[in-house]
Amino acid sequence: MTFGTFFRNNSLKSRWFVSGPWVPALIMVIGFVLVTMAFFAINGRAPLNLFIEMVKGGFGDGYSFSETLVKTSPILLTALAIALPARLGLISVGAEGQLYLGALFGTGAVLLAFDQPGWLLMPLMLAGAMLGGALWGAIPGLMKTRLGVNETISTLLLNYVGILLVSFVVHGPWKNPDSLGWPATVEFPEGAILPQFFDTRVHMGLIFGIVAAVILHILVTHSRWGLSLQVSRSNPRVGATAGISYEKNVLVVMAIGGLLAGLAGIAEASVIQNRLQDGLATGYGLTGFLVAWLAGQHFLRIIPLSILMGGLMASADSLQLYAQLPKASADILQALLFIIVLAVGGLWYRRSST
Amino acid sequence: MELITTEILALLFAALRSATPVLAVVLGEIMTQRSGIINLGVEGQMLVGAMTGFAVTATTGDPWLGVLAACGAGMLLSLVHAALVLGCQANQIASGVAVMILGGGLSAFYGIPYVGEKINSFGSFKGSAVADLPVIGEFLAALTPTILVTLVSIPLISIFLYRTIAGLHWRSVGESAGITRNLGHSPVPYQFAAIVFGGLMSGFAGAALAVDYTSNWVEYMTSGRGLVAVGLVIVARWNPWYALPAALLFGVSESLNLRLQSWCVDISPYLLATLPYLIPLVVLMLSFRGLKAGGGGMPKGLKAVFQGN
Repeated sequence: MTFGTFFRNNSLKSRWFVSGPWVPALIMVIGFVLVTMAFFAINGRAPLNLFIEMVKGGFGDGYSFSETLVKTSPILLTALAIALPARLGLISVGAEGQLYLGALFGTGAVLLAFDQPGWLLMPLMLAGAMLGGALWGAIPGLMKTRLGVNETISTLLLNYVGILLVSFVVHGPWKNPDSLGWPATVEFPEGAILPQFFDTRVHMGLIFGIVAAVILHILVTHSRWGLSLQVSRSNPRVGATAGISYEKNVLVVMAIGGLLAGLAGIAEASVIQNRLQDGLATGYGLTGFLVAWLAGQHFLRIIPLSILMGGLMASADSLQLYAQLPKASADILQALLFIIVLAVGGLWYRRSST
Repeated sequence: MELITTEILALLFAALRSATPVLAVVLGEIMTQRSGIINLGVEGQMLVGAMTGFAVTATTGDPWLGVLAACGAGMLLSLVHAALVLGCQANQIASGVAVMILGGGLSAFYGIPYVGEKINSFGSFKGSAVADLPVIGEFLAALTPTILVTLVSIPLISIFLYRTIAGLHWRSVGESAGITRNLGHSPVPYQFAAIVFGGLMSGFAGAALAVDYTSNWVEYMTSGRGLVAVGLVIVARWNPWYALPAALLFGVSESLNLRLQSWCVDISPYLLATLPYLIPLVVLMLSFRGLKAGGGGMPKGLKAVFQGN
């Protein structure tokens, strides 16, 4: 067998080492690195040096990695909030608003039970956050099942409402009178600060995210409920004859998704800001959406991808420091990554998807 | 009595002014969706248009050049959506979100030097003969060029869609790309044109907002207007004539918000600011009910996007 016939007889695509999912993934990574460097070059910065600086900024040493993990937690939780409804074929973009509502309700619980000891305050705070997020997820779910309102549009609009509601309370009824015009609530008491690890800002939110990802993965792949989601998604009518309510499933996935995003919100307020204030976590919701898509809505793959994306966001700070590139460059890089993934994924799977 | 009439007229014209950017996006998105494509990236295209329009106006001093540049910028960014959706068969919603993030990032990145700049915007018709008309003269004189251009584009778009052969093909692509293909017309050129036209209109809308309405540039200043517009397309039943009342919904809720504040109503401005999102959302709920019952004029090609499964 000559070299030529080897290639002719074995069509490239049929061989496992070129047909595995890692091939498009590799193309995506190379594409992203090239486009990032092109972006640096266009803006008159040395591409290679800056790229290395960027990687160092996210993963270079213990401190920068801890900051990466700090940013990972909300991304992970919001990505799960997108990926779970996606299992039912719903395209929710509402993690941002759910995050804010979680922070809002969680803070409400803290303010109500302010003087209670930590063992009571902390669970109340978390329960409040989960309730708020779940509510903000259930509303578009209900609008979908009752009125047929497209969930993408309703979640996008409710994001803005959620952010404004937080602005309302921190400028109005919950404003700390001693903060001299600075719109924020009073500082959270000791008992309402989530535990952190190894003297860094890495907090319980990360654990919540990882545990939730694993549980969701097991539930969706190994439980009756997971199967019912699959049936509901592919054919709601068949599901109905088997006693599976599509409407109920929509509500459940949207509410659980919201609940997780709500946890991300209260973790940001409690650990990172120590209070509720404006501009709590701008953009984490969209980043979560992006990560959920990068992971193909696969819960376990969301974990490493959230860490990578957390690194990208953490390194934006170092881009600012070393190259005086504005913070918006992180948004641009995220968008470029998303575009490359959509392009390569679309082209690669075009044949199989049609 | 006269006071109430003037107050209502003032509210309506204020609503028209603030509705104009949204109206332009609604019109562009109607054209895009009529070809069976949904583009959430209009939010990003609007931001890029706003930033480019403002920057060009600030450097050249000519607001018309700014508007033209904004249209160009919106079209350029919409090419990304066209490439992803038509070239790579990517998911339309995901691609739209990608364009939205990209547009937001690019405009914030390159717009930094222009934050807080001052520009000479369009003059209005104050002092011209129009202003002397009784009752409404004062309000008519406050109309600006972008408002007029947007209003004029309504009949133009509907003539194109309903009275030309190209418009017929355009709509048939949106109803069924497959059948159009079988009839010997490729849907791709129409969908490409539809996305780019949406880019033009949203870029223009950005300029209408930054150069004309506010004469100001702040990053992420559109604050969801593009996304509200995508929702209002459904309220407008994909019909350019209904786009005006649909966009006025946003306009009225926004100017009501400002007006209630000036009337010293004791409601937090942050709660009032939720009105421009909540009112369209409520109307959207009512429209979707009609949609569920009778189709409501939705292009069949969009069914998969809107109703999922």
